[in-house]
Amino acid sequence: MIAAVVTRAADRVASARKWLIAGGIVFVGCIPLLTSSAYIQNVMILTFLMCVLGLGWNIMSGYTGYISLGHSAFIGIGAYTAGILAERWQVSPFLVAPLGGVAAALVAFLLGLTTRRTRGPAFVIVSFALLELLGLLARNLSSLTGGSQGLAMPLPDWDLTFYNWPFYYSLLALVLLSLWMTRAIRRSKFGLGLVAIRDDEDKAAGIGVLTPVYKSLAFMSSAVLVGVAGAVYGYYVSYLSVSTMFDIVLSMQVVLAVLIGGRGTFWGPVLGAFIVVPLTELTNTTIGGLDAGAFRLLMFGGLLLLVTMLLPRGILPTAGAWLTKLKAGDTGRTGARLVESGLPTVPPSLRDESAAVGGDVLRVEDVVMRFGGVLAIDQASFSVPRGSITALIGPNGAGKTTLFNAIDGTYTPAAGDIVLEGKSLARADRTRRAFRGIGRTYQLPRLFNSLTVLENVAAVNSSFSVRRLAASAVSGEEAARATELLEFVGLGDYLDVKATDMSYGQKKLVELAQVLMLDPAVILLDEPAAGINPTLLRRLADLIRALNESGRTFVIVEHDMQFVLALADRATVLARGQVLMSGAPDVVSRHPKVMEAYLGDDFVLEKTMGGATT
Amino acid sequence: MTLLVQTLILGLLIGGIYALMSSGFTLVFGVMKIINLAHAAMIVLAAFFTWWVWDLTGIDPLLLGVVATPVMYGFGWVLYKTVIARVHRADHELAMVASFAVAIAASGVMSLVWGTELRAATPSYFNTSLEIGSIVVPHAQLYACGGAVALLLGLYVLLRRTFIGRAIKACAENRDSAELVGINVERTMAQMFAIGAATTGFGGAALSVIYQFFPESHFVWIGRILCVVILGGLGSLAGAALGAAVLGVGETITAIYIDTQWATTVPYILIIAILVLRPQGLLGERMRADGAHA
Amino acid sequence: MIEFRNVCAGYGGGDVLQGLDLRVEDKSITCIVGPNGAGKSTVLRTLSGLLSPRVGEILLDGRALHTLSAAQVLAAGVAQVPQQGGLFGGLSIRDNMLLGGYLVRRQRRELNKRIDELAEVFPIVAERALDKAADLSGGQRRIVEFARALVTEPSVILLDEPTLGLDPKTCATVFETTQQVNALGTTVLMVEQNVRFGLQLADHGVVMERGQVLISQPADVLLGRSDMASMFFGAAPTEPAVDVPGGPA
Repeated sequence: MIAAVVTRAADRVASARKWLIAGGIVFVGCIPLLTSSAYIQNVMILTFLMCVLGLGWNIMSGYTGYISLGHSAFIGIGAYTAGILAERWQVSPFLVAPLGGVAAALVAFLLGLTTRRTRGPAFVIVSFALLELLGLLARNLSSLTGGSQGLAMPLPDWDLTFYNWPFYYSLLALVLLSLWMTRAIRRSKFGLGLVAIRDDEDKAAGIGVLTPVYKSLAFMSSAVLVGVAGAVYGYYVSYLSVSTMFDIVLSMQVVLAVLIGGRGTFWGPVLGAFIVVPLTELTNTTIGGLDAGAFRLLMFGGLLLLVTMLLPRGILPTAGAWLTKLKAGDTGRTGARLVESGLPTVPPSLRDESAAVGGDVLRVEDVVMRFGGVLAIDQASFSVPRGSITALIGPNGAGKTTLFNAIDGTYTPAAGDIVLEGKSLARADRTRRAFRGIGRTYQLPRLFNSLTVLENVAAVNSSFSVRRLAASAVSGEEAARATELLEFVGLGDYLDVKATDMSYGQKKLVELAQVLMLDPAVILLDEPAAGINPTLLRRLADLIRALNESGRTFVIVEHDMQFVLALADRATVLARGQVLMSGAPDVVSRHPKVMEAYLGDDFVLEKTMGGATT
Repeated sequence: MTLLVQTLILGLLIGGIYALMSSGFTLVFGVMKIINLAHAAMIVLAAFFTWWVWDLTGIDPLLLGVVATPVMYGFGWVLYKTVIARVHRADHELAMVASFAVAIAASGVMSLVWGTELRAATPSYFNTSLEIGSIVVPHAQLYACGGAVALLLGLYVLLRRTFIGRAIKACAENRDSAELVGINVERTMAQMFAIGAATTGFGGAALSVIYQFFPESHFVWIGRILCVVILGGLGSLAGAALGAAVLGVGETITAIYIDTQWATTVPYILIIAILVLRPQGLLGERMRADGAHA
Repeated sequence: MIEFRNVCAGYGGGDVLQGLDLRVEDKSITCIVGPNGAGKSTVLRTLSGLLSPRVGEILLDGRALHTLSAAQVLAAGVAQVPQQGGLFGGLSIRDNMLLGGYLVRRQRRELNKRIDELAEVFPIVAERALDKAADLSGGQRRIVEFARALVTEPSVILLDEPTLGLDPKTCATVFETTQQVNALGTTVLMVEQNVRFGLQLADHGVVMERGQVLISQPADVLLGRSDMASMFFGAAPTEPAVDVPGGPA
């Protein structure tokens, strides 16, 4: 059986992985000792440069999901910064290369500022604009950069026999550093946050991922080593010209390399670099003459095009999927069976001891929301007593979800205030409201599809600290707590399942666990009962009741009256953006005004029927 | 004062041409939500086509723009069917990367076919001008802008008043509903993309008369187009017209009052400034953020 | 008569419809009810040509519909009113109505006449002709959606959750409008979450579960059954504990 052979070989490779990697590094490190061929050394140096560039690009565009088409700008920034400083201070460019990295990180930070309010397509534009603008600046600020004349670098003062060695080993060191950084990011909560941003940035903000900080840090780490590598590269080519340092084709090649290898994978950029650069050099030597440049454009453009069309996921993920399939055979997804169990026991860590204090946890005060000319929320006020389950009911379009969005900071009300624990939330953005204690779920559960169930919950932050960023993603204290929460909601057996593979109902439970991870003061549930089967519905009701008994406060938007009125101890009715009334559920549900506005479906219907049939 | 009026007139004439060049781009974005980075490469392609035929036959290059329009329509159709639709279905964001790849490959092909020297079509009127008092209006700019504005109006009517236009808008808004009223969504999308490409026909012809160009000029032009649509708000045709006027005037003022070489930085500075300060563009309203997910 | 014969269809993650058999009588109002994820909307999607069945046949008066595109199904006389938000919000009411006649766009005069006729039945079509669809209220939009679906004079009209997102008053309008349309001789096949509403309106009721027809009965009989309430409020203790992967479509 071929499959068996392949599988066994793959297993062996996997077990020998560490040795392979170490061996590979040693081999690459020995190349200058083994051959004095300047050609081979040159190809390797350029490959290393592409590795660093690719690994950097992968952090911004692979993990964080902001596609950059101008990443070579950071090479130019690094090269020019180091080149100019070396000339001014009369020192070796190697000495000031780190400053090139600092400059690149600084520009990346500024680039990150444009992502505060724009997403996907707009970022593609900015990244491209940045590269072109910097190129033009380098050309125009000729007193600083030599303009189109270029900038000559000092001549190396070491023996020609070892001419390439300092460049070779410093760039190799930068590749290793980039790999180490990527690994550290991937394994940290910070890295988890980045993937969360890629999958669903708004949701990430709502579960305590401080997106501006995450993105700034990601962009800076994506650029810093590229800047240093650019400085070394500039020294290596000994002459800085705008067209080679701010090269759009290089930006394209890095996208090509990472796409070939596998976007968002660890080794993908390296694999891609080792394919793309040797290929470039090969064609450089075989295709000569006037048309060489044109052929290169055609070839790399064409290659990138083919990759997007035929191998969009890249070699590593495609091969990985293929291997998994070989190993597992083609088993489809199976319907997950929920285990029936009694009333869930709430782990002690989930108890909210402040419940005894009393008073209101949350107050909505005269909130007004407008969309264009439409008044969606019209001076709505209500309060949520500590330890209560408050039902928020009302006809579709009454503004219930809009009100949730105003409470959690998705929308900014035109007037009015949201007060949590006696303090206004008006100035807190979405993430800070999550930190302050607002947790919410969505009508249709929103999970991070490329993360596992455990990672989905572990990605949640109840506060921000640098230490937490560096914390390990799937082990340690936080992961233990996430596991505990998932066991509590009944998903202890699904920790390593990808979120996409969970059923609709299970996703709702994962989302509940995410919210609990925030240790929220109040939990907002948006139509928890919609679309889930009766067994799961009972389970959900049990969970809510158990959590409530241990002190948790809930606000529930729900249409299933039987479900919500049985749970709630208070009900607030919303109609046409206004609060119609608040009170005990049985009083509210029998009130004539409420009957007419909401529960009166049948009431109105009977009348119509009567009219129609007689 | 005369200089200012002169500057404004030149800027607006250029703006008219920018508006036509950006219209197809913004149409495609409005419907498919992708940045078509190959758009400027199509403009340069049309410019080469115009220049080439003009060089061979001596036919007026702006008139050739009328021929280039259906040619580019066909090119756009083929590009959509072979590349854009396929990649877009699989991965929305990758479609932008694919269009970037097309742009790069296309500039390689153009270099092979037409070489990398600077080209320009120089009909009899290319350096003559209309003089009104002390104001000078170059004929080439005037004719090119006139043609561009006429085509823009045509495009506007096509999108607003015909069934093709209604069908395109319907597909952009709700594919299922469009399918349910009997629209062939795939074909309509291809038509839309091809119409977007067709606008580069005259755009390219105007480019060949007013500017010098070579295959890699498309990087400069995509920069200008991106600036125009960012200024006007992505996807808005009226916004593109306004953005084009602002950029045209801005570039001309910079070139005349500061320095020509700084004029080229204007689009990029505007792009970054707008995206930091007012990402919805000059006209656009803040979109009702997310919530739509629910 | 519309007939589904052993229809299997899905969206790539397995079949939603699992060997569905269903008959819809001419000039009836038939309402499909059932839990979320049972495949109700999928029935309409396969019928209207948005989704091709993997296995099985769909026949309209003996003519095969399952091999046709959405446009061809519409030309054959089956029009679907899409779920909530089916109007083209950025276009005017007039443009929406014109698009309803997309198939007959070349006979412009007949099309205009047809729209004028519909404007007499649904005055809002004329009154708000130049307003953007997005500026209408939910109920008004629903009416225009009905009117738009009637432009091609279909013999069958499909309603996908007609009361979704509507307040009780507008529900009553939908109720009346549906009866009105049916009275003109159009067969109505609808999917409705609001079981009571749907079954009071319909003369025939169909209960679906897990991609198959469970019960098919006159609506009033179905409405009178005591087990109905428990089925739809999830109180049945015998409900199997299987959660459908992927959830509702």
